[in-house]
Amino acid sequence: MRAEAERLAAVLDDRSRAVIDGVEAIDPDFVIHLASSTLKQVLHHFIDGDGGRGRVVFAMPREEEGVVVAAGLEIAGRRPVLIFQDNGIGNLLTALLTVPAAYHIPLFGIVCRRGGLGEYNSMIHTISERSEALLDAANVRWFQLDARIPIELWAPEIHRAWTFSRTTHRPVLVLVNLMGG
Amino acid sequence: MPRMQRAAVLTDIDAEFPDSPMVLTLGGTAREMLTVAGRKPNHLVNLDAMGQTVSIGLGIAVGLRGRPHGEKTVVVEGDGSLIMGMSVMSTIGLLGPQNLVVLVLDNGVYLATGGQPTASSSLDMCALAMACSWSGARSVSTRDELLESLHWAAAEPGPTLLHVIVSTEQIATDYFLEDPVILARDFRGWLQNSEAGVGVSTP
Repeated sequence: MRAEAERLAAVLDDRSRAVIDGVEAIDPDFVIHLASSTLKQVLHHFIDGDGGRGRVVFAMPREEEGVVVAAGLEIAGRRPVLIFQDNGIGNLLTALLTVPAAYHIPLFGIVCRRGGLGEYNSMIHTISERSEALLDAANVRWFQLDARIPIELWAPEIHRAWTFSRTTHRPVLVLVNLMGG
Repeated sequence: MPRMQRAAVLTDIDAEFPDSPMVLTLGGTAREMLTVAGRKPNHLVNLDAMGQTVSIGLGIAVGLRGRPHGEKTVVVEGDGSLIMGMSVMSTIGLLGPQNLVVLVLDNGVYLATGGQPTASSSLDMCALAMACSWSGARSVSTRDELLESLHWAAAEPGPTLLHVIVSTEQIATDYFLEDPVILARDFRGWLQNSEAGVGVSTP
């Protein structure tokens, strides 16, 4: 049991570092985040650590507000990145589809997965495991990084997904599993 | 005293901020501004949905920090839409953009959908803004107060809120059926041209 906990902690460390490296490669000037225990290391890097230097880092009270503020920043020529958890996907759909998707504004978000293997919350899967289905139904482009993707590819894939959001003038989300799945 | 008509208020807003980036809330507000001021590339219309307009304006204002001449980003919002996205009030207080002016035209109802009442009659928007650490907030109900306060909002470091009490009277307008992609393209083009000193292209 202890060995498994240590393994998962190491997975969390490695994948959090890879996400940080991927976002750093984008070099955003704004990082907009929402609270997540799973994303704690990533958020700590940008809120309290080196990742906050020279950037505006702030919390969005709800996902839809963050999406629309980020769209405004993109309109103004800035480089925002959103970081939040997948149980907020339901909150943001109207905003995502009526602002960046409708106005062809690129938008990029890192979305951490919950509700799968290794989950400790007995309820969160009821929304989280529908993430892909919700995004597909909304025609929102997403990519997934999990145990099937070698960790050394995570950071470059995140940067490529950000570039893809510019190329295709639309929201693109990268779903990242930091919990071992 | 009769309440101010929204279209007349919009005329005064456009006169005070003729060349400022402006985000307009959906429905009758946007359509009436188009009727009184015409199609302007510095006006970005939020076609849908409620609760977003101030957040779009916040992103633009923060993104445009550092633009010259003390230019303000102006948001024209309604009471119902503001209440739907009210969490942005605290985010504005947190970020404190000095170049943001939010004008809330409060008619107390969701006018575009038939006049269902909003919760604005029990909400002190100015007190809310100040509790969220905005720089200033005023409520106006007459044209003299409006004109004086528009000057104030244009001159004072923001974020500032102007709560404008208006009637439910509407002027006749057409539907606005522009493709949002074109709206965004025109607005971004105007931002880039005005920043480069090419000059604003408002009619």
